[in-house]
Amino acid sequence: MHLQLAWRNVWRNVRRTTIILIAVIIGVWSMILLGSLMRGIAVGMIKNGISTLTGHFQIHRNGYRDDPAIENSMPDPSVVESVLKQVLPEGSLWTRRVRVSAVASNARHSAGVTMVGIDPLTEAKLSFIGTAVSSGRYLTPDDHNGIVIGEALLDKFETKIGHKLVLMSQDTHREMASRAFRIIGTFKAEMESTEKQYVFVNREISQKMLKLDAAISEIGIILPDKPDNPNVYHNLKTALPHDQYEVHNWRELLPFQTAYLRILDGFMYIWYLVVFVAMGFGIVNTTLMAVYERMREFGLLKALGMKPWWILREVLTESFLLLITGMIIGNGLGLVSVYALSGSGIDLSALAAGAEYAGMTRIIYPAIDLKDITIANLVVLVLGLCVSAYPAVKAARFTPVEALTHT
Amino acid sequence: MVKRFAILLGLGYVSFTMIPVASALDADALVKAGFDYWRGNASIATVIMTIHRPNWEREMTIKAWTRGQKDSLFYIEAPPKDHGNGTLKKGREMWMYNPKVNRIIKIPPSMMSQSWMGSDFSNNDLAKSDSLLIDYEHSFMGTDTHDGKKVYVIKSMPKPNAPVVWGMQKLVIREDLIWLRQEYYDEELTLVKTMTAYEIGMLGGKLFPQKWKMHNVDEADRYTQLTYMSLEFKSSLPDNLFTLTSLRKARR
Amino acid sequence: MSIDVKMAWRNIWRNPRRTMLTICAIAFASLLLVFMLSFQFGSYETMINTSVKIHTGHLQIHAHEYLKKKSIRQVVSEPQEIAHLLQTIPKIEAYTFRGQAFSLISSKERTYGVAVTGIDPEREATVSRLKSSVREGEFLAESDKDQALVGKLLAKNLHITPGDEVTLLGQGRDGSIAATVVSVKGIYSSGIDEIDRASIHIPLKTFQEIYAMGNAIHEAVIIVESLSDVDAIKRSLNVKLQSQNPDNPLTAVDWEELMPGLRQSIEMDLVSGLIFYLLLIIVVAFSILNTFLMAIFERTKEFGVLMAIGTTPERLTKVLLIESMTMTSVGTSAGIIIGSLITIYFQSRGIDISGASDLLSQFGITGRIYPKLSWISAISGPLAVLIITFFAALYPALKIKKMRPVEAMRAV
Repeated sequence: MHLQLAWRNVWRNVRRTTIILIAVIIGVWSMILLGSLMRGIAVGMIKNGISTLTGHFQIHRNGYRDDPAIENSMPDPSVVESVLKQVLPEGSLWTRRVRVSAVASNARHSAGVTMVGIDPLTEAKLSFIGTAVSSGRYLTPDDHNGIVIGEALLDKFETKIGHKLVLMSQDTHREMASRAFRIIGTFKAEMESTEKQYVFVNREISQKMLKLDAAISEIGIILPDKPDNPNVYHNLKTALPHDQYEVHNWRELLPFQTAYLRILDGFMYIWYLVVFVAMGFGIVNTTLMAVYERMREFGLLKALGMKPWWILREVLTESFLLLITGMIIGNGLGLVSVYALSGSGIDLSALAAGAEYAGMTRIIYPAIDLKDITIANLVVLVLGLCVSAYPAVKAARFTPVEALTHT
Repeated sequence: MVKRFAILLGLGYVSFTMIPVASALDADALVKAGFDYWRGNASIATVIMTIHRPNWEREMTIKAWTRGQKDSLFYIEAPPKDHGNGTLKKGREMWMYNPKVNRIIKIPPSMMSQSWMGSDFSNNDLAKSDSLLIDYEHSFMGTDTHDGKKVYVIKSMPKPNAPVVWGMQKLVIREDLIWLRQEYYDEELTLVKTMTAYEIGMLGGKLFPQKWKMHNVDEADRYTQLTYMSLEFKSSLPDNLFTLTSLRKARR
Repeated sequence: MSIDVKMAWRNIWRNPRRTMLTICAIAFASLLLVFMLSFQFGSYETMINTSVKIHTGHLQIHAHEYLKKKSIRQVVSEPQEIAHLLQTIPKIEAYTFRGQAFSLISSKERTYGVAVTGIDPEREATVSRLKSSVREGEFLAESDKDQALVGKLLAKNLHITPGDEVTLLGQGRDGSIAATVVSVKGIYSSGIDEIDRASIHIPLKTFQEIYAMGNAIHEAVIIVESLSDVDAIKRSLNVKLQSQNPDNPLTAVDWEELMPGLRQSIEMDLVSGLIFYLLLIIVVAFSILNTFLMAIFERTKEFGVLMAIGTTPERLTKVLLIESMTMTSVGTSAGIIIGSLITIYFQSRGIDISGASDLLSQFGITGRIYPKLSWISAISGPLAVLIITFFAALYPALKIKKMRPVEAMRAV
């Protein structure tokens, strides 16, 4: 009954209510949409970082991260893998990699690259390369001289699929190892630098070329659900002796992206506050107007015995309903527009160099985070009610005499 | 009498098949023979290397010891500023020595495609000089003449897994095993660079081109020219010559 | 005309609280925009200025094709002439000369290819932050000869610490062999991977000697007093360089050409900022729309009477618009003034965002951002507010036209 009364009071002046409602709707909508875009940028960065051969965890021989040279290879990965089978949750994936710096040359060009020796089938499930091949084909486990390179590298070397690429690096005996590969496919990545840096070959071939036997450079791990798992991290560290192995999680491996995430929350909440203040003035003003308009009514009610606190509650309820309506529609619009954008995302290719400089991916997909939405709505509701308190208190204070003599 | 005739016939037959030294041999053997002719079992040479660019030119006098196809030692004698610098190649590995800093530096993979001493030869060109014999399959493309002698044009295609950047090489070898020209093609079979040998005269007791010129096909005014001042072929050179200690030694 | 204005002014203050709230809303929006725009521009300027001070400088003078080819033979042969030239240009704050070569660096255990830069230690310290990024050991001194500064990642890879010796081997300008042994005096960390992993700095005189440069250098690196001077100085430099050596002139290039991604990432940030601001203004506009509407509807009777005694609807509309625009102008003016004051206050003190410092050091921002007040930042935001609120005010004002005096007078 209470709510019904409040609701009807809200709509007594349709135009006025509609206008302030629009302000609230646009405000909430922008909070949701822009918030999701900002989060989308961060999520995109992290997803990209993780799928560019980082994974959720990495295991190396102790000392590799400081000095990623071939001397710091892991001699016997099967030892680590048996630990992984025990420690990792069901559904986790891992793969072996050889990762060394090498020089790629053809008849006219040469450049420094990172040669990554992968197990094509497992790697495809863990990192971007599985779906990134844009022309030609991906590696198969029995390719003995196939190599997959980035599109930007193909352009830089002015070469084509089917042509040769000679890779040269230092093997475990500190001697020059070189091998010819044939380009069987190219991949496209979010960042051009990724395309220019990584070249993929079969792990066994790279081991043969570098005289590694069974040794590898790293093991990459993906967990089945959330990327953060402090338990697993701790267990891995305990199970793998510190003097031989080192374990890192993605936050340690991607410091830039992690830092960005941290300040993003700050930015977003400041934005929420700013938007609220903008609509806050309108809320106060409108509510004040409504209250003053009904001064006689409130005065009469008081004369009839209604407690002031009751009037306060009444006004606040009206505000509450207004805010809720605005929030529902605003959230609705926000979610709809996020959904609409989530198909194609926002394409930054025109400003690609800038995006790459800032470490962002080329296409931004909005990302909905329940926490963001909750906080946005809370800000609007709680602060909205707080500012409505001022006119509500005023309404409750009208003395019947003032009210009835008011024209 | 018949016997003598038979012997003559036999000799004639044998010599008949041997005079066009090259034709009866296959291309692989010709290339190897030409290579061996060029390097001998071992050799000691003094070469002036001229690096020519559109607006400057530089000359270096280099003493070179080679053994077989795998070992080479280079020692710079002039100009005085560079005197004493050396490069040692053993197998596929290369080291450089500089007397001023008195250090030997092993050339890492990342520098192998850089130029050697600023010339149009890359470190790789020197390190993999025997790659022509190991990594390619040769076949005859045709013949020509040069100075009245027959000349063989050979197409050299890299073996399927060979770690060479070239798509093809073309060799021009004269019937007396003199190497006249080497052309380097990329995978599209476009010519990238050419090495030409000319001014054939007597050197080290046999006919030998005194001048060798390496240049990129796109740039006419940039080349590196080697001029042999002296050349001596030997049956062998001592092991201790091709060591790091030897690299450091000052030679007058 | 002035009667209308007087009337409008008195009308506004008939309901002081409502008017104040409206003015405050507008003032708030304007203030916010002034400050945020100044902050954005200031942060760009900070970003650019700090980025250029890491290595590239605002402007550089080199030989004509040097930027593309980076060949050791593409030199600036008479640095003294350039020094004279630079001294004649008033807005140049500092400059220095550098030599660049690509060589092998070798420690006891490892060998890498690196970029060797010859620097003038005293001048370099005025142009770049190299000196302050030395973390271990010391910066180079004017009198040093065979000392070097090595990047942190490079030092790690080479397994060296201050005091160790490294060998440099490369090729000089005349093609001769350039070789020397230097001892590591300091290790620096610029925050930029490429610099920390693949570069080493030695004294310029030593560089010139080893690489047979004579007196020549490769880059003249220039810092100007203010970012806005860059364009003009670049143009004037290019004209003078052209006249000095018409056949083979040196060129002056600016930081945009030296760091192309930087400008674009700034543009991107600007565009996204504009979207935020636009949305904000729209929210504010709707917020105050009600005020304007209320102003009309509670005075219906009054308008009816006025029109009945002969006031034209146009005049009424005009008065109403003057009322709205006066409120808006007062609001925007207040916003501009307060916003500017706040901005100026922080412009000298800077705003500390050290929470984000490890992230921003990537872009060269140390943790203090200085908002920068300019005509654009002070005026454009409030101007947008003015325009949008004008349209918001127009809607109710136009409704006057439709009013019929007789009905209006009967309104409550």
